[in-house]
Amino acid sequence: MSPLLSVVGSLVLWVGGALLVAGAAIVGPHRLARLRTELAPRLWSVRRPLVALGAVLLASAVGRSALQTVSELFGLRLTGLIYAIEGNFVAWVQATFVTPELTVYFSGIYVYGYVFLLVFPFVAYLALPDTTTLKRLIVAYGLNYSIGLVVYTVVYAHGPRNLMPDMVTSLLFTYNPDFMALTSEVNEAANVFPSLHTSLSVTVATFAVLTRGEYPRWTPVALWLSTSVVLATMYLGIHWLTDVIGGIALALGSVYLSYRFVDEEGETDRDVDVDGTAA
Amino acid sequence: MNGQVSRREALAGIGLGALSAGCLGRTRNIAGRDRSSQLTLRIVAAPADRDPNAIRIARHLAENLNAVGIDARINTLNRTDLWRKVLINQDFDIYVGQFLEPEPFDPDAMYAFTHSRFVAEAGRQNPFGFTDVNGVDEQLERQRRAEGERPEVVAELQRSLCELQPFTVVAFPDPLTAVREERFEGWTNRQPLSVGALLGLEHAGTSDEAGTTNGTTEGDAGSGENATADGETADGGATLRLVTTDDQITENWNPIAAEYRREGTFTTLLYDQLALVDGGEVVPWLAAGWERVDEGTLALDLRDARWHDGEPVTAGDVAFTYEFLRDTSMGSLEAAVPTPRFRGRSSVVESATVVDEGRVELEIGDVNDAVAVRALQVPILPEHVWSERTDAATIAGFEFDVETTEAVVSTNENPVGSGPIRFVEATAEESVVFERNPDHFLVRADATDGETADGESDPAAGIPERFRGKPAFDRLRIEVSPSDIAAVEAVSDGIADATVSTLGPDAVPRVGREADSRLVTGRSGGFYHVGYNARRAPLSNPRFRAVLASLIDKQTLVREAFSGYAEPATSPLAASPEWVPDDLRWDDRETDPVYPFVGEGGTLDIGRAKDLLREAGYRFNDAGHLLSRGG
Repeated sequence: MSPLLSVVGSLVLWVGGALLVAGAAIVGPHRLARLRTELAPRLWSVRRPLVALGAVLLASAVGRSALQTVSELFGLRLTGLIYAIEGNFVAWVQATFVTPELTVYFSGIYVYGYVFLLVFPFVAYLALPDTTTLKRLIVAYGLNYSIGLVVYTVVYAHGPRNLMPDMVTSLLFTYNPDFMALTSEVNEAANVFPSLHTSLSVTVATFAVLTRGEYPRWTPVALWLSTSVVLATMYLGIHWLTDVIGGIALALGSVYLSYRFVDEEGETDRDVDVDGTAA
Repeated sequence: MNGQVSRREALAGIGLGALSAGCLGRTRNIAGRDRSSQLTLRIVAAPADRDPNAIRIARHLAENLNAVGIDARINTLNRTDLWRKVLINQDFDIYVGQFLEPEPFDPDAMYAFTHSRFVAEAGRQNPFGFTDVNGVDEQLERQRRAEGERPEVVAELQRSLCELQPFTVVAFPDPLTAVREERFEGWTNRQPLSVGALLGLEHAGTSDEAGTTNGTTEGDAGSGENATADGETADGGATLRLVTTDDQITENWNPIAAEYRREGTFTTLLYDQLALVDGGEVVPWLAAGWERVDEGTLALDLRDARWHDGEPVTAGDVAFTYEFLRDTSMGSLEAAVPTPRFRGRSSVVESATVVDEGRVELEIGDVNDAVAVRALQVPILPEHVWSERTDAATIAGFEFDVETTEAVVSTNENPVGSGPIRFVEATAEESVVFERNPDHFLVRADATDGETADGESDPAAGIPERFRGKPAFDRLRIEVSPSDIAAVEAVSDGIADATVSTLGPDAVPRVGREADSRLVTGRSGGFYHVGYNARRAPLSNPRFRAVLASLIDKQTLVREAFSGYAEPATSPLAASPEWVPDDLRWDDRETDPVYPFVGEGGTLDIGRAKDLLREAGYRFNDAGHLLSRGG
């Protein structure tokens, strides 16, 4: 459908541009140039986590609608409980902070900023001679997705914009209906807990902090972007505070496990096993 | 509905001392009493993406319930799950939804909705578990038979329903639809997306349109034929493109599946009824005509028609359908499994007898004509397809639930009807495509077109001019949209010709911003209501329901949740004002005439609301929580 294609087109264009600029400024031309010869061996050395991540994504793409049916029939219906716990927090966020400028900013962050945030570390860590961080990043992504998928199946809940349209405006879709075509391809409205936007962003930010010695310029950028994504999920009325907290917990847990599974430039047998079972 | 300190824990706390102290009897009398705790009520409604109005009503009610000390929570469920929970499993406290009649309806629609004979059945019939044997039941029976005095009986019926509140009518929404008229015209201002309206559409300037389309493709004349960018099919005919937020029609085509059908517009286009009511006018449809051969018998003559698979439609199919709707197991199971839809209508027909291939007689007792015509509005099903589905439903060969049949749970893939459209293809959750049935009597009527006065009888005798030669589209494509706003946007962008589903207050102002789209509306029978599960205390108490009704500020809801695109109402029949007695009319009232809102201008008077609950016999604890025992 045409709105979908136009969003995807501009996404590729903008994120591609941002990657070039950030690649030059943060990774540096020197490391990038070396990639020309090093790319194949490095990718080969991360093949196992990469295949595992691919398997998780494939399983999620294929099995999602079946899992969604399971969730609809047997999942815990938690929308009411989440609202009972946190009340009108998201409504308060919108009532207090919404301005047209911020809406444009957070909409852009939610779609473009987020994709850039996920893709850039992949490039940056690929440019490092030691592939340990890259392996850990891939394992952490895979854990985020696979655990997220399990929780999505167990928990059936809608976001604030779907429960309280009288107080929470669905800002992203009201001002950018085209974005909806994209996000509805990727997301199911009844999967809000945990927020994968939050968990993946926080995962990237955590890695950025842990590897600040390698890329000191990336750390503040990642922190700023990931904080913006986290805030955007609530500002735009898509996620509850509870989802965000769940997302942060998932992120920290995934990073911790990725360090457990992938040893410093050593054998990495275990990560594949664990990812395999999680998927 | 809520947890409390169990009797065992309490006894453990009291300890042996009390037991041995000789006051065993007194201790038992205290500990044996279940303690009261705060009343919890769960409200279910569809999420805003699916129904922007219902969730707003639910929020309003939940807020006011919480204000009077009831722990109310809303859980959002997608439509199919919502209706499965409410209609099939009857596992709910309160739901918010729409009555599923597209147009203003005959009072007999209340028969299935509220008659106590349906309390034990799963389906659209009496979802409330409501019983009023001497009042409502008796009035429902009388209105079926009454002739001259029917208005009085119907007025009494409405008074009973309004007093007892098995459900609270909130408002009749305007059926808003965004349309663009460059390809199809004739979106009536009655009910733009009823069966009659869709069939009545005209191809915009049948000759002009062809001219302009050719004009644009003329440049590359040779290859132009296949450039179907505008939804024109290769043979030059047009596709009517609709958008909906409701994906049910892309995965289930079973006309009797209660949880999948709303008004059932598209299944009515797939499956012809004997009679069609369009804008209050009774149109002889699959039956060319009928007559009362005696007091309790209606004889119908069928048109010459064929099922989509080529088999002829016979009187046997009609007789089968009525028996099947009464018991979808056709007597093969221990207990009858009645259909979860059309229960009121099919209950009118006591038996059906085949006279010959094209004539059938229905035993309808002594019901009046209005009720008899309602009984003719059920989908006629092909016996050769549905007689295979009378066994108990199974999963992988195992009987899972003997209370239902294959027919009720079937998705009815590749539906075989006799209606003016045929199924082509579908992608679940994305889209569905139908095509015009060239064999249908509406199409054949065009070929003969009145002029043929030579012997050959008109295949569509008695059909109004606006339906002859219709439908005007060759294909009908329904695309699923993630929200009402996106749906309106699709019409503005020219990707679709009209929206099908409910438009919320955020979507409405977007219509007409683009010059090509405009908002059309009409009169709907689909009133929004709050339904109570009368099987559960305290919702079983009409006094309690009456207080809940007075917590709902219909006027404010219409203004805020519907942006004014609705009429507040007291009676479920308010869309047909001729039936509504003066004391139940809303007219220019500020508030409900039966259970007025306790408060003003949308603000609840909490003290007064609590007084109402106390008067009804309910108690509050120190924290102001409404207490319920056991629950």
